[in-house]
Amino acid sequence: MTNSASERRLTSPYHQKNFFEKTAEGFKKNRSIFWFLIPAMAFSLIFSYIPMFGVTFAFKDTSFNDAMRRHASILGALIYSHWTLNTFASIFDNTFWAALSNSLIINLLKLFLIFPLSIILAIQLADMKSQKLAKLILIILCIPDFLSWTVVIKIWTNFFNPDTGLLGRLLAGVTSGNHVTYFEASFKPLFLFYAAWKGTGWGSILYYAAITSIDKSFYEAATVEGANLFQKAIYLTIPSIGATIALMMVLSISGFTSVGLEQAQLMLNGASYYEKEWTLDLYIWQLSIGDGAGVNYVQAAAVGVFNGFVSLFLMLTGNVLTTKFLHEGLW
Amino acid sequence: MGKSIALHIRSASFFHGRKGTGPKVHQPVVDVVIRTISMVILGFFVILIIVPLLNYFSLAFNDPTYNENVIIFPIRWDFSSFAYLFSSNSEGFWKSFVNSLIITLVVTVISNLIEAMAAYPLSKLDCPFRKGILMYFVITMLFSAGIVPIYLLMRSFNLLDNIWSIILCSISNVFNLLFYKSFFESVPKEIEEAATVDGAGSLRLFFDIVVPMALPVFGSCCFFTIVDMWNGYGAALIFIKTSATDSMPLAYYLYVMMTQDTSKTQYDIFLQTHMDNIQAASFLISIIPILLIYPYVVKYIKSGATLGSVKE
Repeated sequence: MTNSASERRLTSPYHQKNFFEKTAEGFKKNRSIFWFLIPAMAFSLIFSYIPMFGVTFAFKDTSFNDAMRRHASILGALIYSHWTLNTFASIFDNTFWAALSNSLIINLLKLFLIFPLSIILAIQLADMKSQKLAKLILIILCIPDFLSWTVVIKIWTNFFNPDTGLLGRLLAGVTSGNHVTYFEASFKPLFLFYAAWKGTGWGSILYYAAITSIDKSFYEAATVEGANLFQKAIYLTIPSIGATIALMMVLSISGFTSVGLEQAQLMLNGASYYEKEWTLDLYIWQLSIGDGAGVNYVQAAAVGVFNGFVSLFLMLTGNVLTTKFLHEGLW
Repeated sequence: MGKSIALHIRSASFFHGRKGTGPKVHQPVVDVVIRTISMVILGFFVILIIVPLLNYFSLAFNDPTYNENVIIFPIRWDFSSFAYLFSSNSEGFWKSFVNSLIITLVVTVISNLIEAMAAYPLSKLDCPFRKGILMYFVITMLFSAGIVPIYLLMRSFNLLDNIWSIILCSISNVFNLLFYKSFFESVPKEIEEAATVDGAGSLRLFFDIVVPMALPVFGSCCFFTIVDMWNGYGAALIFIKTSATDSMPLAYYLYVMMTQDTSKTQYDIFLQTHMDNIQAASFLISIIPILLIYPYVVKYIKSGATLGSVKE
């Protein structure tokens, strides 16, 4: 009797399946594709989750560094070195604050100067009479994004060279070579300029696609109403692509502590007086790999953990913001 | 160039208005001004991109005695820099070129294959522990413990100064996984159901039906992986010493060539005089693989970049 009752219960369309029944059914249905997950999960486990245990390095004293320099095994070093909180207390020195504030300032400037540039560029291109020409311009503007940072920096140092460079000689004629000392002393404007030169064109593709998909009749109506291009851009285009802008803004804020190791490395490495211009990426790199002399694994791990938690916080905040305002999470 | 285009548009609209064939709507004077300024700005941007590129890469074809006079074309053509690069003196360059080819190829194939495979079960709503497994992947994107642990891990695997350290740590790519997942979710259920009724197993369903449908997504994800792996050397900065010339990716080799002390050149007169030109030539060769896939970028732009607007 009970048997048929439970059978009836299972086959009844009104029956709410419980968690175990659902899971079992899901397994049964997906059993031949469930193993698809295994390779990706294994790679994540080995190269993302196991390194996360490296958080513990930040709570070790310098005997861990010595063990690592002797190429002892990591587990052994973890067991035999002492636990301490001093490493964490000692990371907040001047170099660290300078590096953190440099990263934040550069990213803020990027957000206020370079980020709108892509949008303005996309609006200009989408407004052009000949869309073929607009696409050609876009294709040209995208080229620098496909060059490596080495090539980009080399091209511009060559261009700015006061003896042989095309613009450098012109500038040297006007400033009698002062622009070189200026460039060396002030690093952020040049850093931003290179970043803008490399990324603006590629960054505008998304906005260009969003703008060209706006209904043309809105623009016709606005024209009849006598709106000029500027008014159309402010009151029509930007509100229409607001979701895309917000999403990209949140994504860029999520990576706010990082400015790209390669560019900072190329522009700042080598000269010690650049130390006050270091970014956080470069500071961590100097501490953990560097030129071998100043390597301090525990301090690097501590700064890395701090950085990890700040970016985690920013990412989660970004996700909350997008879920709230765009009704879609980042993932 | 920019100015002439601006003038052209201005005169065109002028004639347009005089003939009175256009719509009756009066075009505000502000618009003409804005369009002109906008064209000048765009023209300036195009010049800002093209001139430094041509200026630098014409060094590759130029006679070094005239390097200073180059504007955007070589002054006197000279291919000896390329001859040097193709001679036995530049083994390191070609070794790193091959390394980069291997890294790019292996990472692109394996990474995209396993991420797409993992995305497929996750796109099924009845997949058990779907949310949990998704979080398992997303957490790796959210939090990382920095470069020390991964460096020490690779050291204990004995993979330092080896291209496999770069390959292994680049394979996991959660961004692509989410991209594939959102595409697979958009595949209509009816197609898969029809194939199941016809007797296709899940494996056949995935490789014969779903993957061919997802080819544009594969194309764009693979394209981004290729560009990242070819141009990026952040991992190489961590895992490869500047002295390990045998196991460098190309971008890193060029970085080392550009920044390191050039003391060894003092024994090589040709290298000394042609330094800039050889560097330009090697940079030019290094971007050829990217130029080969650039038509894909053009297609991507022309198709309206719709793939880019798929939610990440």
